[in-house]
Amino acid sequence: MAQQTAPSEAETPTQSESSRLAGVLTWMSQNGIFIFTAILILFALIFVDGFGSLMNITDVFHRAAPIGIVAVGMTFVVISGNYLDLSVVAQVATSGVILIAVSNNYGLFPAILAALAAAMLFALVNGTAVGIFKANAVIVTLATTFIGLGLLRLFSGGSIFFGPPDGPVRTFGLGKIGPIPYSAIVLIIMTIVLGLILNRTNFGFLVRSFGVNESATRLGGTNTALVIIGAFLVTAVAAMIAGFVLAAFSNTAVSNDGVGYEFRALAAIIVGGTSVFGGRGSVYRTFLGVIFVSVLTNILVLSGISFGYQQVALGVLIVLAVSLDALARKVAQR
Amino acid sequence: MSSTISLGTDEPTGTWGRVRRTASRRTEGRGIVLLTFIIIMVALLEPLALTAYEVTLGRIALIGIVALGLTAVILMGELDLSVASTLAVAGVIMASIPDLALGIVAALVAGLVVGVINAFFVAVIGINSFIATLGTLFALRGLAFVLSNEAPVSLANKDAGIAFGQPLVGPLTPRILIFILVFIAIQLFVSRVKTGREFFAVGGNRQAARDAGIPVNKRIFTGFMISGFVAALAGVINTLERTTADPTAGSTVLLASFAAAIIGGNYLKGGRGSIVGTLIGAASLGILQVALTISGVQVPIQQIYIGLILLLAVTTDPTSLRAVRGSLRTFRQSRMKTPDS
Repeated sequence: MAQQTAPSEAETPTQSESSRLAGVLTWMSQNGIFIFTAILILFALIFVDGFGSLMNITDVFHRAAPIGIVAVGMTFVVISGNYLDLSVVAQVATSGVILIAVSNNYGLFPAILAALAAAMLFALVNGTAVGIFKANAVIVTLATTFIGLGLLRLFSGGSIFFGPPDGPVRTFGLGKIGPIPYSAIVLIIMTIVLGLILNRTNFGFLVRSFGVNESATRLGGTNTALVIIGAFLVTAVAAMIAGFVLAAFSNTAVSNDGVGYEFRALAAIIVGGTSVFGGRGSVYRTFLGVIFVSVLTNILVLSGISFGYQQVALGVLIVLAVSLDALARKVAQR
Repeated sequence: MSSTISLGTDEPTGTWGRVRRTASRRTEGRGIVLLTFIIIMVALLEPLALTAYEVTLGRIALIGIVALGLTAVILMGELDLSVASTLAVAGVIMASIPDLALGIVAALVAGLVVGVINAFFVAVIGINSFIATLGTLFALRGLAFVLSNEAPVSLANKDAGIAFGQPLVGPLTPRILIFILVFIAIQLFVSRVKTGREFFAVGGNRQAARDAGIPVNKRIFTGFMISGFVAALAGVINTLERTTADPTAGSTVLLASFAAAIIGGNYLKGGRGSIVGTLIGAASLGILQVALTISGVQVPIQQIYIGLILLLAVTTDPTSLRAVRGSLRTFRQSRMKTPDS
């Protein structure tokens, strides 16, 4: 394996054959999610008892919504070539706690403003460190995760906050149209809006362009720092809304609410075919990735498989999905 | 480490020039500043953390040992996020095997296997190490839960664990001694052994290293195996000291060990750094943590300080500062041009 990339390696049989393989692999890593999701849902409907029940579908939506909202937002950071934003863990918890705690004392509107301020602060710190200081996004957001969680614990005392039983937050959290809860509708709206921003606006174009080639984007006269701060801001606002949705669903909030969100959101993004190498990806496919990951988790839960195995499955899923993408690139470069 | 690269004709001369030349080659500057600052602050505010040095040394060893293994990977410009879970899995494996010696061997082998898996995805498949090891971080955390049935596993041989916590040589517990041994071993490896010295070449310029005939992929395997092995060793030590293996162990170690390696001046892009720097970083954080604990600061609040130090460390390395200077210059130039046009 040491000579894996040595130039002396035998040339691939024919150029066309290798490029066809590259084409298939690339297509799979980008669009495979359509097929995989369809197969998974079909499988679940046939083999898993209780999957198709109305109650279970509502439950899947309820659980998918906050993760999905984080995921569609975080897609921006991933496409910009900055791997991921680990601090969504702290952001989701912060906005949930602020929503419940502040609205209990001062009303809903100040609570939303306070949460927005917190989200912007997260985005500013992450974006400045990554965009201007060119620091590694994984390490920066690892640091801000612990700073954020520590501050949240300091101010909240680690206690659980309960909302009033009949407040507007509660009403929103329980509301649904047919089997679809309001939270899932928020996810769908977020997907469409962020999808339009990514595909149709100048900012979205710059995010993608930065992911493909950072220097070229800068030389083209773009203030790349603002693009990065913008990408982190999109993620932060999405994480804030996810925190609202999560807090509204249970009508409670506590400082470890967001644990595992960075990981599930990343799984959804990667399975959805967004490349961790940056530049390529789509918010809509992330939405499908969310469906895939949520249905998979639901199947595992319904089959009585323990939390540990679920975590192993998702970890393996991430590595496999990225491997597919990496192999496609490798074959294409040959 | 002490490489003798000629700096060309405009090499500074004289004693001051020599000092400056050495200083420009070393990477531990920020670590030394932080360590000095923390020692002064702690000596003034909470001197107990320095006088009770057995406790502080134990804490430094806890943070430092994982950071030492991590440094081997960082030198090559890669990252191993999975160390936190490797530590937990190794502990659980060790505690689930009744025979102590066999358990320790199995745990250490597990660490090596994790290293091989990580290296496989990084070197052979070509995934970015941040993402690959993030995947294994979560997969292994899950594995630790599965193997332990989601509950702490107690060690069968509790006496060995209790004996392990006692001072062995003077005030030094086996944990501290093992830490010192690991430090010496890795320090010698990357500064005196050819394979280890090649880590710097792989991190500095991978293509150049490949062209120079260094088996880059093999070195990546070696590096990840070192970090996996050392993380497993840390898991074994933790389990022995606490006589139980906690599947959630290691999540606080992740932040501290990264902070230690990075504040010690190890460049995340690879090629520059030193094991001594990591030791300095670990010492700073260990003293800080003990001082904070003595003053009654809770662990989540301590993480704020460590997080801030980590953030400061990644944003103040020379490449970052250069990037900031660059963007400031562009900004100023664009401001100056605007009135003309």
